[in-house]
Amino acid sequence: MKLLNLNFWNVFIYLIALFFAIPIGLIFLSLFYGFNENFEHIYEVVLLEYSINSLILVIGVSLVVLFIGVITALLVTSFKFTGSKIFEWALILPLAIPPYLLAFVMTEIFEYSGSGNLILRSLNLISDDSSLPSIRSLTGAILIFGFALYPYVYLITRVALMNISKSILDSARVLGTNKLNTYVKIVLPLIRPAIFAGLALVCMETLSDFGAVEHFAIPTFTTGIFRTWLGMYDLATAMQLASILLFVIIFFILLERKQRSNVQFSLASDTKELEKVESLKGLKNFSASFFCFVPILVGFIIPVLEIISWSIEIENVFSTKFISASINTMLLAVAAGIITTIIGIIFNFNIRIYSSKNAQIFNNFISTGYGIPGLILAIGITQFLTYFDLILIDTGIVITGSLFGLIFAYVIKSYALSSNVLESNYKQLSKSFDDSARTLGSSKYILLKDIHLPLLRTGIFTSVLLVISEVVKELPATLILRPFNFDTLAVTVYTFASEERIYEAAFPSLFIIGIGLIPIFFISEMIKSMRGLN
Amino acid sequence: MKKPLTILKATILIFIVGCSPVNEVNVYTSRHYDVDDILYEEFTKKTGITVNIISGSGGALMERLRAEGKNSPGDVFFTVDAGNLANFQKAGLLQSIESETIKNTVPPELRGPNNEWVAIAKRARVIFYNPDSVSTEDIKNISYEDLADEKWKGRVVVRSSSNMYNQSLVASLISNLGIESTELWAKKFVNNFARTPQGNDRSQLMAVANGLADVAIANTYYIGIMLAGKGGQDQLDAAKKLKIAFPNQDNRGTHVNISGGGILKYSPNKENAEKFLEFLLSEEAQTHIVNNSFEYPVIDTISPHPIIKSFGEFKMDKTSVVNFGKFNPDAVKLMDRAGWK
Repeated sequence: MKLLNLNFWNVFIYLIALFFAIPIGLIFLSLFYGFNENFEHIYEVVLLEYSINSLILVIGVSLVVLFIGVITALLVTSFKFTGSKIFEWALILPLAIPPYLLAFVMTEIFEYSGSGNLILRSLNLISDDSSLPSIRSLTGAILIFGFALYPYVYLITRVALMNISKSILDSARVLGTNKLNTYVKIVLPLIRPAIFAGLALVCMETLSDFGAVEHFAIPTFTTGIFRTWLGMYDLATAMQLASILLFVIIFFILLERKQRSNVQFSLASDTKELEKVESLKGLKNFSASFFCFVPILVGFIIPVLEIISWSIEIENVFSTKFISASINTMLLAVAAGIITTIIGIIFNFNIRIYSSKNAQIFNNFISTGYGIPGLILAIGITQFLTYFDLILIDTGIVITGSLFGLIFAYVIKSYALSSNVLESNYKQLSKSFDDSARTLGSSKYILLKDIHLPLLRTGIFTSVLLVISEVVKELPATLILRPFNFDTLAVTVYTFASEERIYEAAFPSLFIIGIGLIPIFFISEMIKSMRGLN
Repeated sequence: MKKPLTILKATILIFIVGCSPVNEVNVYTSRHYDVDDILYEEFTKKTGITVNIISGSGGALMERLRAEGKNSPGDVFFTVDAGNLANFQKAGLLQSIESETIKNTVPPELRGPNNEWVAIAKRARVIFYNPDSVSTEDIKNISYEDLADEKWKGRVVVRSSSNMYNQSLVASLISNLGIESTELWAKKFVNNFARTPQGNDRSQLMAVANGLADVAIANTYYIGIMLAGKGGQDQLDAAKKLKIAFPNQDNRGTHVNISGGGILKYSPNKENAEKFLEFLLSEEAQTHIVNNSFEYPVIDTISPHPIIKSFGEFKMDKTSVVNFGKFNPDAVKLMDRAGWK
């Protein structure tokens, strides 16, 4: 029985890995096609600019998300201040708004006759003929991504902070370490893996975004890829550029892993959260509240109010189109969430139990899928599935252009989210569990089912929800891979926005945000219950 | 043993494809206007043929069609911009349209070289200006070439060079002036930009209305949408401040582009595809397009929407739309070299 399980796991791992590796592999394969004159043109004329802009963007966004994400996580974990209980969950809210949507909204607000300028003018803060600086700049893009994506860092850091054993801190204090020193010397190193995990996700998301940078007309690597493909109709060169981008993304993944492996992270089972040692008063109290409120205001409250103000201008609101798009979106997202998480558990379980190098390598490889621009990923999948169809069934297309292709894309796109969460959850799970269970004669299957799964509950849940919120927002891959007559909410919003009817995008946008809020609600409940348990 | 497998296959097919009626036409489109949805419904009502839609950008649809090869379920490709149509034709994804009705309706310059595609509607790329800051003298008889002149320094707005409309405009200049002259023009033209290219055509019009620039290059139907109040009060107010100038009336005429369609090479429902294109060229469908998307019709018996008509008649550039596709890669590279973001 045990032997069978072992074989099953191994075969399963390799099959899954192979299956997911092929579309990514097809993209890298483009490097062997040979470089044509379009590549030379890009190399000589624009590649440097693309690279510099992408680099500045990633560095800028990293600084913003670290600044907001880490400080807010530390504040709400360690102190009591006005609204701290609310900020604890409200800080995740911006996760419901995809960067491209935030970019659309902020552009409208900063337009000459946009609501931002109108309000400032009516308050006499700026004169009647002047207006706010354009948001459509590199700085603007950094801020957009920063406010849209900081919750990744906040969320993972927050969970890590809650899992830090109180006894570690107590020992530190007993040994006479003062409070600031406790943070710098003990807490920060302990949460560093979490911070880096969040930051790596943010960097990948930033590098692979197309919607926002395209709207702001910033020449980055992704805009270059799409321009080459759609402007020059040269997919081969576009895929070669995508390969270069993927190398950068893989570099991020390796860097992050190296950082992580430097930190030994076996914590005691006593997962009491940091005690709220201090209630803040006066100016400190105000500053803490203010610091936590601004990201929520910019990343969530203002955009939602703006979209609501658009919706008031629209008469014809609900149609069967919206209803079917909403149902489609939900079903897809849930399916992708569950499938991705199952695969994530299997991989991480194998990495843990067998210390399998191969599983680790495949795991890292599939994680790069997160950074692949959706359109390019969709091409890899379309090419792969077409071969598949030809082999499987001799008449007609079956899998290409079906929901299967879409879910396939979503799993690759969001695998890193799932695996990151599960992995950091696993790292905090003492290996002594495994040892005791094995000593008592449990099979690996029993170990997974009866011990790991219940202990990983939080991680599994977080994983499913993160994938759902990712899928709901996904646009470019959906555009290509979806079946006939099949719209998702993101597609509906894109359709209106690209048709320059942004007001009519109001309701589908609110729907996207609404669905994005569901996982956020559960995550915050989870955090609350974690706190309650202690 | 064979039977269960067939049943399994059939089940998979039904599960994946969904219940598909036999009488259908599968349309791959990069035009995603609501206007079109109503048209498709009307077509189904008239003919009983179900219209299935897959939409996406031209390049994306092309890759999907290439991957699907001769198994593709696609019947019709429907898109904006002749550049997209020409690229599909060059890739060998379209077949010649045989329908005499279509050939008799649409003049040859608005069809592919071997009738691989046909125009469904037209749009002109024109100059919008603010009459308060642009003198009649300067705007009179203006050409695209004139916008490279020093006197327009810091006064021009136009969207990014990633946009197909601009790529086709530059391709038309290349086909008329040659690459070298066009590049020289582009470098000076870019120098006259009031800001880094950003936003869509509508936001260029807003920029001129709000005094951020004096002239903008944009497609005609945008002003129609704005003046009809479909973009809200702000846009209506802004549009009222603008005037329209048709460039190059003294020589070759104003750059005109098309929305158009063709029948895909491996179309399994070719007859329905023909009926579909014929329907789009019918008076009924053309009237609907003109009144809702504010494009120009391709048949003479229909007038443009009154708002569009009020801008007057103008001379159209007869440069074959085929050239937009031909010179597209040159246009993209040229704009890169000129620093047109």
